[in-house]
Amino acid sequence: MNKGRYFEEISDAIVNLEEGRAVELAERAITGDMDVLEVIEKGFGTAINKIGKLWETGEYFLPELMLGGTIVQRAMDVLLPRLKAQGKAATFGKVLVATIEGDIHSIGKNIVATMLSANGFEVVDLGVDVPVERIIAQAIEQDVDAIGVSALLTTTMPGQKALVEAMVTKGVRDKFKVFLGGAAVNAEWVKHCGADGYAENAIDAVKLIKEALRGSSKGGK
Amino acid sequence: MGNDARKSSVARPRYRLLDDGQIERIHATTLKILEETGVRVADPEGIRVLEEAGCAVEKEDIVRIPRGVVEACIESAPSRIDIYDRKGEPAMVLEGRNSYFGLGTDLPTTVDLETGEARRSVLQDVVNAARVADFCPNIDFIASFALPGDVPTNTMYVECFKAEVENSTKPIFFTAAGKDDLEYIARMARAVAGGMEALRQKPFLIHYSEPVAPLTHSKGAVDKLLFCAENGIPICYIPTVLLGASGPVTLAGGITQANAEALSGIVMHQLKKGGAPIVSGWAVVPLDMKSMTYCYGSPEVRLTNAAFADIYHHYEIPCWGIVGTDSHVLDQQAAMEHAFAELLAAMDGANLIHDVGYLGQGLLGSPASIVMCDEIVSYIRRFMKGFEISEETLALDLIDKNSPLKAPQANFLAERHTLKHFRTEIWRPAVCNRDMPDAWRKKGGKTYGQRVVEKAREILKHHSPASLDPGVVKVLAAIVGEARTGLEGKKFNA
Repeated sequence: MNKGRYFEEISDAIVNLEEGRAVELAERAITGDMDVLEVIEKGFGTAINKIGKLWETGEYFLPELMLGGTIVQRAMDVLLPRLKAQGKAATFGKVLVATIEGDIHSIGKNIVATMLSANGFEVVDLGVDVPVERIIAQAIEQDVDAIGVSALLTTTMPGQKALVEAMVTKGVRDKFKVFLGGAAVNAEWVKHCGADGYAENAIDAVKLIKEALRGSSKGGK
Repeated sequence: MGNDARKSSVARPRYRLLDDGQIERIHATTLKILEETGVRVADPEGIRVLEEAGCAVEKEDIVRIPRGVVEACIESAPSRIDIYDRKGEPAMVLEGRNSYFGLGTDLPTTVDLETGEARRSVLQDVVNAARVADFCPNIDFIASFALPGDVPTNTMYVECFKAEVENSTKPIFFTAAGKDDLEYIARMARAVAGGMEALRQKPFLIHYSEPVAPLTHSKGAVDKLLFCAENGIPICYIPTVLLGASGPVTLAGGITQANAEALSGIVMHQLKKGGAPIVSGWAVVPLDMKSMTYCYGSPEVRLTNAAFADIYHHYEIPCWGIVGTDSHVLDQQAAMEHAFAELLAAMDGANLIHDVGYLGQGLLGSPASIVMCDEIVSYIRRFMKGFEISEETLALDLIDKNSPLKAPQANFLAERHTLKHFRTEIWRPAVCNRDMPDAWRKKGGKTYGQRVVEKAREILKHHSPASLDPGVVKVLAAIVGEARTGLEGKKFNA
């Protein structure tokens, strides 16, 4: 098989949002006993970057990003077990995401989670209405690199500050980067909470976390 | 010509989006969602009232509501809600196509009136908004406007309510974190009104709360909904659907899902206390698929607002309205979006039009923006008044008298008829420019945006709202003190 042609096919399938073809191409990597890490990086990684570029140039919008991201996740479901069996990891890092206790809004968090996982992060999604104690316990137990915590309701935003404070109290603040999400979150709030950052949108969130974890992640890269 | 020459009529602008068949189709689809798909109710008391009325409950909290129950509750919800001011004087009759305009709540950032910089909102911004709105003749009700970052989070709504009631006599549209702080606010309202029964008779406040799309009533939201039903506090219970994100991207699908959320709220509320006052509607809003933001100033919001106005006029239940701009400053975009939104909300016949003065996707406030909108609403009110067609206003005799044949140097200016009618027929702006170019330059050549800032500063300097009885002020301070202790460390339900 011509590898260059194969990677291009993957790219085409993702950019054209063809789920069936993308999964089929992933399965071909398994049956053909290919280097799965290379397939992920040069095939699916390149493809998701292309979608990101199309978003930046204004050709693609959020639905294309989300559907493209979801299709990459489906392909990864096929590839990752094999990779694990080979004792390798293909991740920029492991990120825990959750909506803070008292809030059941999930859309913003879900967009970020999809984009992160499509861009090569391992995502642990604890869902909505999650107490601070559980976030910290899970972050430790699952040995994540970063925590992304969302709060849409202004009444629940203090939970973001409480999370950072509880991390300091437990002596684990330095172990994880903390990023905040929610419509009312801004730079001033991040500083007030003592968190590590926030982003204006899901694409910038991926860039932000990639940059923050560069060289420090426990995941491998 | 069948027109009776002596008859008088009024030519009035009106607008209707949905025809009867379209309303019926959306209603029927809504009933199907409620009856077959079901909604999630994350509150035991909410489930209890629904179950008792014959609704089926599955998987603990998924409730299916039969058509008959929904229709009975639409019937039992009042079609008229009388809202009073702080002094107990009639202020708003939420009914039919009556439109009232007022502020929105909880803006975390404020454009400082002195520096022009955007900064974190503080309690003084709540005070400022109340005082400016108290002065503005076309602002009918107030709200916190700002979300104060300088008071403890758990008591911020209690502190806001106190600041509002002490700085304006106008009715108050307010939020609360949960039932616990809502109880303190209700106590304050009773102290102001002169007891529980007086407040029930003459409510001067409307609580705002919301379910979460898709099709979910959170525990916190139901708690507040049922508390208001029991206590006769009017409530505005409004779902928000983000088109393409928390509901279908198509407007018809988005509003139908939102209607299921709104109606299931009305059902719980009416089952708890039949005839209790509730204002309905929805915010069905596009998510900008590029910037990923919530678009207040979009044409789709005007269409979805028009749709609920038509449907809730049909249900004969008062409805709210939502306005605001996505601009972050008082620029041309702000003026355009404020004006379109407020005009179309009035044309819709929405009753309780809120978020007047909102900037920056519902994140930013400015007292000057309230002043800008006060004048826009003044313009709209003149427009909506239309004009009378009668013998007197047709003025045939006057036209004849001043015709070239009878009066070669015709001049209507010195006519009694002109003197009698010009003040009511012709609107005059308070801030908009009508000067000739040189006169405008002589006065400093200022833009509308600059003039509303100056006017807002003047209002804050000179306007003193009617003060509250010192005895009541003391009681309010005591309740806030209790709330600070009582709510410390409290976790509100999602």
